Amino acid sequence: MKIEMKEICKSFGANEVLQNVNFTINTGEISALLGENGAGKSTLMNILGGVLQPDHGEIIIDGRTVSFAAPIDSLHSGIGFIHQELNLINDLTVYENLFITDFLRKGVFLDTDTMRRKSEELFQEMDIDLDPCEMVRNLDASYKQIVEICKALMQQASIIIMDEPTTSLTVPEIERVFKMMRVLRDKNVGIVFISHKLEEVLEICDSYVVLRDGKVAAKGDVKETSIPELTSFMVGHEVKQEKSVGSCHTTGDSPALEIRNLSDGMHFHDISLKVSPGEVLGVTGLLGDGRTELFQTIFGAMGGNYTGTVRLCGETCHFTSTEKALEHGLAYLPRNRKENAIIKDMNILDNGSIVYLPHIRNRWMIDIPRQEQMFNKQVKELSIKLEDIYDPISSLSGGNQQKVVLAKWLMSEPKVLILDNPTQGVDVGAKEEIYEIIEGLARKGTAVIVLSSEAKEIIRLCSRSVVLFHGREAGELTGNTLTEHNIMILATGGSLQKCEESHGK
Amino acid sequence: MGNKKKQMSFTEWFRDKWSHNAMFSTIFALVVMTIVQSVALGMNAGSFLGTFPKLGIAWMNILRNNTYAGVIALGMCFIIISGGIDLSVGSMLCALGACLMYLLDEQNGLLAAMGITGVPAYIIAIVIVLILGCILGALNGVLIAYGRIPPFIATLGTMKIFRSVTQQLTKQFNPTVPKGFKAIASAKIGGQIFLPIVYWLVIVIIMHIIFKKTLFGRQTIAIGSNERAAKLSGISVKKVKCRIYSLCGLMVAVGAIIYIARIGSMDFANAGSGYEMDAIAAVIVGGTSMSGGRGSLIGAFLGMMIMGVMNNFLNTIGVPTFLCDAVKGLIIILAVMLQKKESD
Repeated sequence: MKIEMKEICKSFGANEVLQNVNFTINTGEISALLGENGAGKSTLMNILGGVLQPDHGEIIIDGRTVSFAAPIDSLHSGIGFIHQELNLINDLTVYENLFITDFLRKGVFLDTDTMRRKSEELFQEMDIDLDPCEMVRNLDASYKQIVEICKALMQQASIIIMDEPTTSLTVPEIERVFKMMRVLRDKNVGIVFISHKLEEVLEICDSYVVLRDGKVAAKGDVKETSIPELTSFMVGHEVKQEKSVGSCHTTGDSPALEIRNLSDGMHFHDISLKVSPGEVLGVTGLLGDGRTELFQTIFGAMGGNYTGTVRLCGETCHFTSTEKALEHGLAYLPRNRKENAIIKDMNILDNGSIVYLPHIRNRWMIDIPRQEQMFNKQVKELSIKLEDIYDPISSLSGGNQQKVVLAKWLMSEPKVLILDNPTQGVDVGAKEEIYEIIEGLARKGTAVIVLSSEAKEIIRLCSRSVVLFHGREAGELTGNTLTEHNIMILATGGSLQKCEESHGK
Repeated sequence: MGNKKKQMSFTEWFRDKWSHNAMFSTIFALVVMTIVQSVALGMNAGSFLGTFPKLGIAWMNILRNNTYAGVIALGMCFIIISGGIDLSVGSMLCALGACLMYLLDEQNGLLAAMGITGVPAYIIAIVIVLILGCILGALNGVLIAYGRIPPFIATLGTMKIFRSVTQQLTKQFNPTVPKGFKAIASAKIGGQIFLPIVYWLVIVIIMHIIFKKTLFGRQTIAIGSNERAAKLSGISVKKVKCRIYSLCGLMVAVGAIIYIARIGSMDFANAGSGYEMDAIAAVIVGGTSMSGGRGSLIGAFLGMMIMGVMNNFLNTIGVPTFLCDAVKGLIIILAVMLQKKESD
């Protein structure tokens, strides 16, 4: 089977998202679809998946022009779409999820035996070790992804679209998914792999297409390309990747934040670290390393159940609520902007100043002119692109939303700023802008802690980094030892000695 | 807002307002309903000119009859915007009413026993009942915020508790309300407008300002829209939730005071039952989203009026009383369907 998308155009209002895009998918091939956020990848795939209709252009399957009015049409043509947010029902078993669109029945009752047998057969064929009667709730993220793929296969899908399947997976889990993808390729299934992780693309894909501003910027064979080349295709110019120099000057020797032997008995154990004013400290590790829980605990968001001491500017603190932490000059920008930071029913102005509102009151009322003035100052400083501060927050792009979230914390002028995945869901250009903002803050004397699972980000921003492994300190890296390689060794449970050895080589 | 000065046709303007301004559709519904109501009243009066006095009287009655539920709806509106619900308001009204009567009764009342009567007694009783309202509301808030019980369940529980305890304690007790106290509800301003209407309208404005202009209002929206983000933005969600439920309790206390002053007695088994549903209906019809985050206090007031005007219209054209509730039900469903369309 061969699917051709020809001259696809799509606009939302005046915004042309796709302009004459051509895209071909063959079975037995894994093709990567690359591009920055907002390049049009999701729109293109949503058109193929029948979620959206193109304004122009056609979809041709094996020489036959088709049109998809709804996702079900696309599914019947053999295209399975696995969305980034998985569509599994946690409270049903694996086999029930596989047959969710079309339960097999014996009279009025479900034919559980046949469904279970068919699931087992499929798993065997795909070389997957999974019990069909397991509850989906108990599976890890990689198996959930695999169940989604099998669900598509049950529908006789011969092309599978995977939208950033690896973002929430750990390294062994990614391997498991990749193994399955290779099996699928051998069974002559075509896969469209959407990802931001270029290393993975080089590892698993056969061909690539890069979208930029709604147009095809480049396409070709993965074997003949490299990460720098792909990056420059995506961005349109060479990306600045050099390490910042001179952000390491520390003013004074008393640490702004010092934690000693911190444990909560569950997510993290016996953690000690300190950060000085003007320093950017990195904290990294893989998923499940406990860094988010650690810093949310320090920030008082977990109710204050921990042992050990937290000292903020030399003063021992024990925060049981975020309000108190804020009063003491601690700020925490959470990960997962959509769930943890954006208040979707509020406009940009309120979203960007909610943290500081208690301080800009005139008796009981909010001093709105002052609020506007303070927020506009942040808009200028962070160069947030917006039309009107009274527009809904959802009208902004990911990068600008993140800047608004950053603005609300900067307004409170914190002494210690904790940034958890500060560039999550932000495209490459805006990323660099956010890095510059962070460096600027450190220069002004703020103690900054950056939590990130992207080693590159840590190296770009930090002079010193702590690596966590399953809630324990695996080691600390500074200066020359702070390399992607060393971070990976520590984050996967290797020892510092090995790390030094490898550095010595 | 004013920067888009384009020539628009009426239909365009109307469609734009209808889909972007939740309040517009509520006001529109009320206007349409009022026109229909005036036609019905006019036909009843038999002359065009006879319509207006009748409409005036009808509106005065609607306003007067919906005061208690209307005031409660304002507290409920805050709770629903914060993503919660309070089913206990009806029983709370009953409990607070019983307390008020117990304080006021001239033979066996608490204040009378202490030798306080007349206006000082009224003032003391009112203050005590307002504080009690806050406390009962805060009790709900504590159960929900600190006890982590879903609002629906927690207030279903307190609804039963308030009612049954009140009934048990008032078994041997048949209080009367002093005549002077009734003046609170029966006095008129300008010879036409009953005082409770004024109380209600003033409270609507105060609550609207609280919602729009204060930190508390913003925090309510933040919690209803994204509780986790609110918490991580340094809002102490638990404290604010307690305050929201307390505020609703305070509104119920105001409702109870007006109720007692107006009716002068209370049937402890039934008083206030169903008010929670009337209040929720008014809030929803007024364009507040049941899932929290979006809403309007003025909308809650208009919602109450829509229900009232509808009721009056149905009575005027002679729809049997039992069927009136069915129509009310239809209005609620219709209102939510329209909201759904807006958000899609």
